[in-house]
Formats: sequence, C-alpha cells, structure tokens
Amino acid sequence: MSALETAPIEEFVAELVARALRQGADAAQARAVSSRYFEIDFNNRGVELLRSTENETTTLTLFCAGKRGAANLNGRAANEIEAALLAARAAADAGLVDAANDVAEAVSEPASAHGPQAPDREAMAAGVDAFNATLAADHPLVRSRDCVYSFTDAETAFANSRGVRQKERRGGYNFAGMITARDRGRTSSINYSSAGSRAPFASLFDAGSMRRLVRDAPRLLEPAPVPEKFIGDVIIAPDCLATVVGALASALSGGQLFTGATPYKNRKGERIASPLFSLSNRPRDAGFALGADFDAWGVPTQNLDIVRDGVLDAFLIDLFFARKLGVAQTAGAHNFSVKPGEKSLDDIIASTKRGILFSRYSGGAPNSNLDFSGIAKNSFYVEDGRVLHALDETMVSGNFQELLQNIHAVSREYVNFGNSSYPFVAASGVTISSK
Amino acid sequence: MLERLAAFAEKFTGPAELRWHANHSVAAAIRKGALVENSQSRASGISARVFENGVFGFAAFAEEDDAALTKAMETARSDAGFMKGRSATPRELARPQAIGEGRFDYRSPRPAATPKERVEILKVLDEAARAKYPELVNVDLSLSAHTSEKALATFEGARAYSYVPRAVLSVRMSLEANDGLVELYDARGGFGEIQDQDFSLAALSSWLDGLHEELRRKAEGGQCEAGEHDVVLDSDLAGILAHEAIGHTCEGDLVLAGSIAGDNLGARVASEKITLGDYAGRGPDGKSTFAIHVDDEGAVCRDVTIIENGVLRGFLHSRRTAAELGAEVTGNARAFSFLDEPLVRMRNTAILPGKDRLEDMIAAVDHGYYFKRATNGQADLTSEFMFGVSLGYEIRKGKLARGVRDTTISGTAFDMLKTVTHVGDSFKWSGAGNWCGKKQPIAVGTGGPAIKCRIRVGGRA
Repeated sequence: MSALETAPIEEFVAELVARALRQGADAAQARAVSSRYFEIDFNNRGVELLRSTENETTTLTLFCAGKRGAANLNGRAANEIEAALLAARAAADAGLVDAANDVAEAVSEPASAHGPQAPDREAMAAGVDAFNATLAADHPLVRSRDCVYSFTDAETAFANSRGVRQKERRGGYNFAGMITARDRGRTSSINYSSAGSRAPFASLFDAGSMRRLVRDAPRLLEPAPVPEKFIGDVIIAPDCLATVVGALASALSGGQLFTGATPYKNRKGERIASPLFSLSNRPRDAGFALGADFDAWGVPTQNLDIVRDGVLDAFLIDLFFARKLGVAQTAGAHNFSVKPGEKSLDDIIASTKRGILFSRYSGGAPNSNLDFSGIAKNSFYVEDGRVLHALDETMVSGNFQELLQNIHAVSREYVNFGNSSYPFVAASGVTISSK
Repeated sequence: MLERLAAFAEKFTGPAELRWHANHSVAAAIRKGALVENSQSRASGISARVFENGVFGFAAFAEEDDAALTKAMETARSDAGFMKGRSATPRELARPQAIGEGRFDYRSPRPAATPKERVEILKVLDEAARAKYPELVNVDLSLSAHTSEKALATFEGARAYSYVPRAVLSVRMSLEANDGLVELYDARGGFGEIQDQDFSLAALSSWLDGLHEELRRKAEGGQCEAGEHDVVLDSDLAGILAHEAIGHTCEGDLVLAGSIAGDNLGARVASEKITLGDYAGRGPDGKSTFAIHVDDEGAVCRDVTIIENGVLRGFLHSRRTAAELGAEVTGNARAFSFLDEPLVRMRNTAILPGKDRLEDMIAAVDHGYYFKRATNGQADLTSEFMFGVSLGYEIRKGKLARGVRDTTISGTAFDMLKTVTHVGDSFKWSGAGNWCGKKQPIAVGTGGPAIKCRIRVGGRA
C-alpha cells in the first residue's frame, strides 16, 4: 500500500495538485470528499434494508494554456490516480481557451468540523420503531414506503496551485419518507417530506413537514375537483415552495445570466417580487444541519441576501461565471431561506376568497421564462376562508415571475428542512382547473 | 473480477450477492460558445448484500481487493442482524426460475473517441448553429456518455458480466419571443459509445434546422387551453406514458405499497388496442436505447406483458416482491452504482404498435393537440400521472395549426387508457434514451407508437 493511499485527505489533494504541476499543468485544483454512510430503509410493515457504505470521490481539474479539463475518480488505487491525472491532462489539452479558466485566489481558512462523526444506530433504530408504532396506533389508514433514515459523515478537502487549502467535516442525520392513505380499495396520492438534523430526530414525525402530511393524508382519500376553471389564490406549502425557489435560483444563476436566457438579467436593484418576499442564501448558518464553508473552487462561502423585501439584491454566481461576466463571485453553495411573515396560516386561509392550499407540485420543469404548469398534488380547495375538500386531478398554470409579484401573505410558521427554510406563501393569479 | 467474486460467493450460506460495479462517464458542454464542462469520470467498487432475519444487509466499499470483499460480506451480515427482533417482519425471497450466467458485452469495436474529438463535435455544431441562427439568445450543446460495467456472483450460482454503454448529444435553443423567452430541447444518440454514433455536422444539420424551425413556430404560438382535450401523443410521449403512467404503478414494491394496480389484475384497464410491456434484452425489436439480460439479483430477465389487449396481466418483480405477491421473479431488480442496492426498476417499457396511421389520428381530432416531445414525468400510486410537454401543435378541424408553449399533461392512467381510439403502426424508442429517478437514477428505454386519446392539458388560456 502506497503512502498516498493512507495519507490524510488534505495531504492527498495537495499531492494531486503537486503531481499535476509536475506533469506540466499551469495550474490545478483537487477536491476530495470522503464519506461514510449508514441508512435504515423501512416502511410501515417493517425494516427492509440496512446499508453501510464508504467512498471517497475526487475531482481533479487541470489548466493548461488557458484551457481546462477535469477527471473524477473514487478510491485511491495507484493506477486509478495515474489514469485520472492523464485523463484530466488530455481533457485540458483538448479544451477551449478561455480567459475565465483559472484557479481561485482565496483565503485558506482553518479546518472546521460540524456535527457528530458516527451515527447513534440505537437511537436511529428506536426512532424507526417509534415511528411505525405511532403510525399503526394513531394513523391506521396511513401507509409509509421508501422511508430512509440515514447518517452521513463527510470530510471534504480542497487544494489548488495558488496555495489555497480548505478542509471541513460534516456529520448529520437525514430522514426522507413517503406516505399514502389507503382504505377500502381507495388510495391517496403519494406525499413526501425530508429533512436533515445534526442530532437524531426526537421523533421522525418532526422531520420536515411529516407530521402535517400524515395528519392530512386520510382526507386525501375523498378528493373532488374544483367546481370550475378559475383564476385564484394559491397558498404554497413549505415543501412546495422549494419548487418556486429552485426555479428562481436557477434564473438568478451565473450560468443563466451568461446565456441571457433569464428574465432577471440587468435587474439587480429592481423590485422582482412582493415586498413581503425576502430570500437569502445561508450556507454558513448554524441553524441549518447542512451547509458548506467553501465551494467547489475552494472559495469560502458567505451568507447573502438575494431578494430583500422584494428587491433583487444579489445574483448567485460561481467563480467561472463571475469571471465570464466580469462581476464578483457571490455563491457556490446553497442553503436557501425565505423570511417568515406576520400572519398565521389559519389567518391566511381565513382571508382567502377562492383558491387552493397547494401542497405539492407535480409538473413540467419551469422553462426559462418561468412559466409553469402541473398538477396540484395532495392539495385542498379553499373557499370563503375555509378548507373544503381535497383536490382531485387539478392542474395549476401560471408564471413564477408573476406569482412572486402577486404574493400577498407570508406565514409566521415555517419548516426548517436542514438545508433550507420555508414558510407558507400566498399569491394570486394562478389558473386552476379540474377535469 | 468475476472469478474472484465467484470464489467469495461460495462462502455464503444463504441468499446473497456480490457485485463489482463501475460507472464510466464523459461529459462535455458548450454554452454560448464557452466550454463549461469537460470531464471524464470513473466510479467503481464492490458491494455485498445478504438476506438474513427477513432483512437485507448491504455494504459497499470503493476498494476492490480481497480484504474489501471480506469486509463487505461481514458488514452486510452484521447490518442484517442489527434489526433482529425489532421492526423487521419475517419475509422470504422467491428463487428465480432461471439463474443468470454469461457475458453481455456491448463494448464498441471502434477506438474510443478522444477528448479532442469529443470537444470538436460540440465546437463544430455550436459554431454552425450560432452562425446559421444568429437570432437565438442561447445555444447549449452537451455530449455525454455513460457505461455501466458490472460483474455479479450470487449464492444461487449466478455468474454474469455486462458492459452497457449509451451516448447522447443534446441541444437546447433559446429564442426571445414577444412575451418572453422560449426554448426547445432535443437529443440524438442512444445505445452504444460515442464512437458508435454519427454526431457530425453533415449528419445532424437537418436535425438542427428542424429543431430551429419548430422553436420558431413555438415562439409564434400560444398557450394551451386548460382542460380535457382530444390529443395525439407522438411516440416519444407514448413511451413516457408507458413508463410513468403504467410502469411505475405496476412495480411490485409499489403494488405492495398500495398501488391501485394491485386491485386490478385481470381487469380491463385500457382500450383493447393497448398492449404494453416491460422488455428484457434490447426490447421486442432489439433496438432499444438500453440492454439488460441478467438483473442485479442474478435472475435472468424475462419479458413482462403488463397490459394485453387492454387487460392488466402482470407486474414487475424482484425476488422479495415476487415472494410476497406469489408471482414469478421477472428480473427487474437493478442498482445504479456499486453504492446502491437493487430496487424494482423498469427496463425497456413500451406500448406495442397497432394499425393506425398518424395522419388519420390527426384528421380524427376536431379541436385538440398534437404533442411531440416530453420533458420530465411523475407517477402516483393512484395511477395519476403527469409529464411535461415541450413541443406540440394545436389541431383544428383535423389539421395541424399553430405551435403551443410548454405545458403539462396529466390523467389517471387506468381511465385515460380506456379513451385510446387509435394506436399507430410505426414504433419508435424515445429520443436517445431516458433516465428514471426512484431513490437512485437508472437508465431505461421507453418507446411506442403514436396514440390518440383524451387527456387533461394544463394551460393559461
């Protein structure tokens, strides 16, 4: 076994950079992630599988004469390392000259560590037992499937030829579960939620929106269509809001700005949403179980306001596209947070004339213009301030640009998913139709 | 490697598998003339899965030596024992009717495309597209190749090796319309490696022209009218319909989870014109974008007729779901990487062709849509499905009219399939092949003929 195979991860990435330079690269960077993973996979009928894995993946990027190429490998077999060095060099030689191709200049920060290093397997098993016991006793119509309670401990190290060195370790738990209700031959739509936590969950019902979803599931067994096609309000649940934020983040990304295929180009400082809407990126927020202290270029991350009181404050631009666009880098890792509001969810529902409580979006990926159209899954019809019934085969169509402008309420309740935090958001102007 | 796995598999005392699995991939992408991706990847390792105490234990490591194999077997056994006496329900595994053996090597006989050749493919196409269509806001071109290579040895005696490649060239064009950005995506390629495909400008020029023209018509078009309509789904969508609407609903693990399909075996769930299956190998015509002969539990893959002339006939099974539902193992247990356990997954899922002509279907629609290309899709235990549509046209009085913008179509499969009045006589596998997401990504083939049916359409009009 070679010394490199057993070297600490920070020495491993530094040695890869050194070898790349010795092979003639002008510049190089290496990023390795060494992870240990454990999961319990179960459903309401019991445990299906326990899984333990260990892996180390490394991305080696070389820069030669203004060109860039990369190779990814896993493990540290000597022949694989040599093959990756050659592949990265060949890719770089075949690349296209671009002034944006270079490693980062950044401050090397002290190594950091977040969360536990090993899973509390007994606590995890007890959590699974308790979840299934409570589900059977208190929610007899609810079934679960593909529930994964997992623990990941990942050590990440970065080195580049400008001497930037970064290292962090993150350990934490995650629970992702799917549920449905079934009664006398009727089955409700699947619903799901997931969340991360630094400690074992006190109850798996506390993960994400799981408790609310389990509570609501039996009501979904008796769905009905909306009375007629109408343009109304949507009260977007936290899990569903992730779809809206994801589409917005993509439209604000450096890649989209570079193409020009985004409605938000040249709109920094303009109002792009209701004053009630504020979005921030908080990769260093200790309130989240997940996060990142540096990005894929080895640049330290920063917490950043993206939309402040409806005004576009910053784009989400990584190093490469920052250079292409001639602007400052703003982000390379994401923990999104939408600021909670003043109203309770009950008050928002009570003030809704006609609309839906929009729990899950199952639809086509929004296009560059942010048009969307899809099914309102696991959702409820709201009229005159009351939730009347679950929805059957109901479609929603609109445009996320307009929807953000049309937000008229944000709830004070919110859900922390471990890598994001979202409240309920109410907006008007969405086309809603059933069969 | 197979011989080494086989020697270790002799040590098992009960149901278990050992797998060596390597995923090889290359990715290159040009965005507006800039090379934004240019990489090659290899991820490999070994895994062991054992079935003890009614539970699977699974362990995987990146190392591939004997010590790693021993560690994987011991860890998998230890994990399987951990839940003994807890939430584990005693369960059994069905034994496959046929144990898989053999080599299924689809490696290209041609020399591998070099990094320079890969970038050159994109560079030539990008320069041609941007020169020929200067009004485009953006052109994204990407070239990707993925090969799944694996060796498998099981307690029951399966000994199999496979090498299954796929290569895809995709393009996305964006255009500024009067009311905002409009874009269109398409892909070419499919089964085989990059060097097996013709991605030259000469071969693809007319395809790019066609894509540009359809984008232009889409930009000039309008929004769909929300509601239920008569539609003609081209083969690309029929394939995704087979996968999303029916295939998922009939996966054994979803049947056990309460899928509506479980209550309908033997019942009429579709027009008698519909016969739909999930096929082994490279599908009924031997031309699918994906190939599989032995699954990751060591079972010989066999064709599954899911719907025969409108009647629900069968489900897709792993050894576990077959045992629990009293069915035969079908060879549908598949894993994406060495880190992943086998799950019930589709393979080549398709509606078989009928006798109707596409032009007759369009002529039979008074007021509806002709949808040509799909994007993403999703299924449900209720058989409710949806998928995105990126290209389509209005049909007015039996003739194609203006283009339509992106939309979503949805329905309840077991209701919608009863509305099928026409099934086309021309069968095609969808695009360059698809990926399915269900805990893990996995390569699948989807295909079919065009069909005419009644379906719900999303829209703002």
